Parts: sequence; C-alpha cells; structure tokens
Amino acid sequence: MSGGGGSPGALAFERFRVGDREEWLMRIGRPHAPAILFVPPLFEEMNRTRALIVATMRRLARGGQCCWLLDLSGTGESERELADVAWGDWRHDVTAAAAYVAEKGKKPLVASLRSGALLDAGAVARGWWRFAPQDGAAVVRDMVRAGLAGVEWAGYAPADGLKAALEQATPAPVRTLRTLRLASDRAEADAKIEGPALWRRSEPGSSAELADALAADLQRWSRECVAF
Amino acid sequence: MAAAPDDSLEVEATLRAVLADVLGLDRARVATFREETPLFGALPEFDSMAVAGLLTELEERLGILIEDHEVDADMMETFGALLNFARTKALR
Repeated sequence: MSGGGGSPGALAFERFRVGDREEWLMRIGRPHAPAILFVPPLFEEMNRTRALIVATMRRLARGGQCCWLLDLSGTGESERELADVAWGDWRHDVTAAAAYVAEKGKKPLVASLRSGALLDAGAVARGWWRFAPQDGAAVVRDMVRAGLAGVEWAGYAPADGLKAALEQATPAPVRTLRTLRLASDRAEADAKIEGPALWRRSEPGSSAELADALAADLQRWSRECVAF
Repeated sequence: MAAAPDDSLEVEATLRAVLADVLGLDRARVATFREETPLFGALPEFDSMAVAGLLTELEERLGILIEDHEVDADMMETFGALLNFARTKALR
C-alpha cells in the first residue's frame, strides 16, 4: 500500500448509513479522486453484470477515478431480507450512498446500468450516465417470462408492493445525463457501442472489450461533468 | 423503428444472431444449427432468464409482440420450432 489512500486498484468495503440501518459500498480508487458511484441492475441482472462493473471500475481507477458500487438493501452483503425491502428503500439507498461518497471525497457522477437507472434520480450528483436503461415494466416482463420456463421470478421473492412500484417505474429525467446503449438496441441514446448483452447470459463471464468501452466513455463523460 | 424483416431468410439470420448474443454461443456454432437441433432443455446456456432475454430480443429486432400464452417449452424445443414461430410472427 502506498500513501494517499492506497494503490488505485486496491479494493475496500465501507459501510454507509441509510436512516436507521447500514449498507455496504465497495470502493476501488483513491477516495479524493473524482468519484463515480455505480448503481447495479436489479435481481438476476445484478449478478450477471457484477464482473463487468468491477472490471470497468478497475479500469477507471487506473485512469484516476474513485469508483464506488453499492449493495442495495436485501442484496449482496445487506443484512436485510429482500422480502422486507420496499421500492422507496432502494431509492433511498442510492441517495444515501451518493451523500456518503460526497462526504468522503467528491460529489459523484452516478453511473447506472439497466434497471439501476430507475433508482438514481434522487442522488445529489455532478452528472448521470445510464447504460442500456429500461422501464420497470420491462423488468417485470422479463421476470414473469423467466417464470414461464421455470421458477417464478427466477427464484426472487420481492414484496408485492415492490413489484407494483417497479411495474410503474421509469428512468426519471435528470440534468446532465448521458445515455449509452448497445448497437443492437433500437432505443434512443446519446451513443451506441458494440458488445454483448452480458446481462442476458447464464454464464456471462466478462467482456474485456465491453469494459474497455464503458470505462473510456465514462472517463470522458466524467471529465465533461467536472466542467458543468 | 426499422421496417419489419420482409423475408424468411432475414428472420432466420436474426434468430441465429439473437441466439448467439443472448446465450453467449459462438456464431460459428449457431450457424451449424439445423431444424432438428434441440435447444431448450438441451443447452445449459438456455436457462429461464435466457428465455426472457430471447423473447425480448426477438420482439425488439423483429418488431413483433409475443404474448405469454404463446410461450411454452414446445416452441423452444428445437431450432426449427423456434424459427417457425419467429417466421409466423414476423411475416404475417
């Protein structure tokens, strides 16, 4: 470990407070570098994009950014059960994580993947970046369809209230937003990149090319957001 | 929205591309799929989340809508069955 918060590639876990509970953030990068807070997708896509997100974070940390990834309540290292989580809790998690990151170092750019974009609008941020965002109705449709061929909701059991709120959720308008999508996606975006929809795959592995492309795009956008 | 694919070869090419993308299969391998090649239940990559992804990607790339009641194990059992389903939806 060198001084100034450790080597840029070092990984650390920190607890942040949300109301009367605590959740976890993973950090890669020096705390006082320009901050990027990653918001993962929900349910199975969270697992399937984890390696991609961490690979992207490592690249950005080498490029001088400080990257953070939160565990939403009821997922990852959280002590809560998914069944006890309300939709508002997840939005509060993101807002509280962004506040924690700002307090530890710098106001973050919020980088959301897929359904993470449904949770990111309440954060105090210097900008937003969304990769392949989708409506909550599309998430619900995928989970119902996953059940057509096997276990209902692919084995996830969120509360009915959370499902109902998710069905109505859309990515909220935010200032200073860049939206990126895969070239195979017909929806509108500021830019499109080639690459696989890893979140669809049962054994996603990670795509070095996709992580390279995401990190390069985020690095540029992070610099632009400093100027705003 | 782009125009719906207007011939069955294009539907077949789209289906092969979606299978490769969603399941993470090598394109050369997918190119060898024949009508009788078994898919759902035979390929470990073809799990329940992959079913959701496959249907959604087919909808987006073919400009179609698939109802839940149209989905069952039979229509995904072989490459031929899935191709027949995609053609019926896209070319009518």
